[in-house]
Amino acid sequence: MADGPVDAPASGHRRRWPLRVTSAAVLVILGGAVVASSVITLNVIRHQERLILQERTGEAAAVLSNAFASVQDSLQLLGSIAGSGPGNRHLFVSSARSVLTGPGQGLLVTTQRGASMRVIAAAGAAPAVGQAIPGAQAQLGRRALSTAGMVSGLVQQGTRRWLDFALGGSAGPGTVVWWEAPLSQAIAIAPSPGSPWGYLDIALYLSPRPDPSALIVATTKHLPLAGVQYPFRVGHDTWLLVTASTFPLVGSLVKDTPWIILVMGGLAVALTVTVVEAQGRRRDYAAAQVREKTASLQTALAELQTAQAQLVRQEKLAAVGQLASTVGHELRNPLAVITNALYLLEVAAGENDMMRRHLATAKRETSAATLIVSDLLDYSAGREPMLAPVQVADLITEALSVVPPPAGVQVAGHGDPDLSVTADRDQLRQALLNLITNGYEAMPDGGSLTVSATSAGGSAHITVTDTGLGMSDETCQNIFTPFFTSKARGIGLGLAVTKRVVEAHGGTITVTSTPSAGSSFTITVPAAVMASVPQ
Amino acid sequence: MSPVAVLVVDDEPGMRDTLAAILEYHGYRVALAADGESAFTAVQSESFDVVVMDVKMPGRDGVSVLQDMGNPPPQVILMTAYALEERLHAAVDAKAFAIVHKPFETQRMLSLVCDASQANR
Repeated sequence: MADGPVDAPASGHRRRWPLRVTSAAVLVILGGAVVASSVITLNVIRHQERLILQERTGEAAAVLSNAFASVQDSLQLLGSIAGSGPGNRHLFVSSARSVLTGPGQGLLVTTQRGASMRVIAAAGAAPAVGQAIPGAQAQLGRRALSTAGMVSGLVQQGTRRWLDFALGGSAGPGTVVWWEAPLSQAIAIAPSPGSPWGYLDIALYLSPRPDPSALIVATTKHLPLAGVQYPFRVGHDTWLLVTASTFPLVGSLVKDTPWIILVMGGLAVALTVTVVEAQGRRRDYAAAQVREKTASLQTALAELQTAQAQLVRQEKLAAVGQLASTVGHELRNPLAVITNALYLLEVAAGENDMMRRHLATAKRETSAATLIVSDLLDYSAGREPMLAPVQVADLITEALSVVPPPAGVQVAGHGDPDLSVTADRDQLRQALLNLITNGYEAMPDGGSLTVSATSAGGSAHITVTDTGLGMSDETCQNIFTPFFTSKARGIGLGLAVTKRVVEAHGGTITVTSTPSAGSSFTITVPAAVMASVPQ
Repeated sequence: MSPVAVLVVDDEPGMRDTLAAILEYHGYRVALAADGESAFTAVQSESFDVVVMDVKMPGRDGVSVLQDMGNPPPQVILMTAYALEERLHAAVDAKAFAIVHKPFETQRMLSLVCDASQANR
C-alpha cells in the first residue's frame, strides 16, 4: 500500500513495519469503514432483490391462480367434468404452461354447441371466452370433440395451433382420452421477455415440495431450487412455484454497488494512507535531520568549550610559568649572595662546632632552594646544553660539598679522576644534586649515600645509591613524571628535569629500588659525548 | 710578586661586597664596579688580571663590555642569573674564560678565578 520507503535518515532506527502507527490506524479505520459499507450495501441489495423476486413470484402465482379459477369456473358450468379427476389436472397444467409462456401463446378450452366451436375457457394470450373459433382451428377442435369427447384444449402460438388434450367422449366425462404430453414430463418453456416474469427462471411442481417427478414446467435447464418457493392452492392440491431471477431485478448497476464501493473506497483509503504515511515520514525525516544537526551542533559547541577551557588553562599555565620563571630568576641573585655570605660566615666561625653545624644546615637548605629554583626554570624553559669538558670526579666532589649531608647520613663519593665527559657542567651538576638530595630525603633515619662514577663500554656511569626507604614498583614507574612526588615536600620536578637533562646529553637514566632497602639511580652518558681530557 | 688584581662588576651591592670579601680573604686585590660603563672605564684606566662580571646590568651589559675590551684583555668570568642564551653564546664567541650560573658554589668561583689568573701569566 505504501510506496517505496522515503529516504530514511542516517540515524538508522530500525523500522519493522512498512507503515507508521498513524498510517496503519488510518488504514484500519478507513478500510474497515469501506468494507463494512460494502457488506451492508450488499445485504440491503440482496434483501431488496429477494423482495422484488417474491413480489414477482406472487404476481405469477396470482396470474396462474386466476387462470386456473377461470378455467375451473368454465368447466363447472359444463358440469360433466367437474371434480378432481385427471381431466382437471390436464386442464390446469395446460393452462399453466400457456400462462407461463407469456404473450403469443394461449390455451383455449373449447366445446361444441351445435355447429359452432366456442371457447369456454382460456389461459394465456387466447381469444376471450364465448368467442367463436373460426377456420382451421375450429376444424381441429371439432375433430377432437367428435372423436375424443366433449371438451378439447387447443394451444395457440402465433398463427400455429395444435390440439393439446381432449376430455370426455366415449370414455366418460372427466376422463382424459388424449393428450400431447404426459403430465409427468417437464416442458421447458422459454418465457417471452415481454411477460411480467420474463426475467425469471421458473419451475412449477404438482406437489407442495420441489419433487423432480412432479415437475411439469421449467423455463430453464438449471432448476432454481435456491430461489423463492411459493406454494399455492389449485383445487384440492397444493402446487409449488419456484422462481429465481436470471438478471438482477434491482438493476445491474445497483447489484454491483457493493463492489464499486469496495474498489473506490479501497482506492481512496490507499490514497489517504499514502499521503498520511508520506507526510509522517517526511516529518520524521525532518525531525531526524534536526536532531542530527542539533547533536552535531552540540558536539561542536562542547568541543569549542573544551578548546576554550584548554586555551584558558594553557594561558593560565603560561602566565604561571612566566611568573615562576621571573620569580625564579629574581631569586637566583639573592641566593648567590646568601651562598657567598654563608661562605664568609663559615670562614669566620673557625672551629666553633655549633656555628659550623648550623651553617651547614643553612647551606644545605640554601642549596635545596637553589635546586628547586633551577628545576622550575629548567622545566618551564629548558635550555640546550652548552657543552664543555667536565671532570666527573670533580663534579661529584663539588656536588657533595654543595649539599652537606643531614645528621646520621654517611656520604662516600669516588670516581676515576681521569674520567671526563663533554657536558653542560651546570646541568649535569643539577641532575646530580637532584639525585643526591632525593637520596638524603629517602633516609630520614640515617643511612649511607654513595656516589660513584665508572667507565664501561665507552660510557660513563654515574650511580647514586642510598640505603633509604626504597620505592614500590608503581612509584618507580612514575618518578620521572613531572609533578609526581612521593615526598612530603618538593614539587615533583627534580627527577623529570634530571631525566630531561640526561636525555638532552644523549644519555639514559635507570633506577632500581627495593622497598625498605634503598634505591639506586644510574646516569649513563654515551661515548659520543665523552672526551678524555688531559690533566 | 704583586697580588692578583680582580675587578668585581655587579649592580647588586650584596653580591659585590660578599664576593669582594671572599676574594680579599683569599689574598686577591679587589676593585669594584657597579655597572658596565664604569667597569669599562676601570679596565681602560687600570690593569686587571681577572674580571668577574655580571651579565645583566643597567646600561651596558657584561657581554658588551667583554666584547669591547682592549688588547690584551683580562680573563673574564661572567656570572648570570638568567638564561639569556643568545648573549651567552656571544660571550663564548668573545672568549669569556667561564660562564657561571648564579647561585654558584663559592669554592668553584675561587678555583675559576685562580685558573683564570694563571692562564694570564
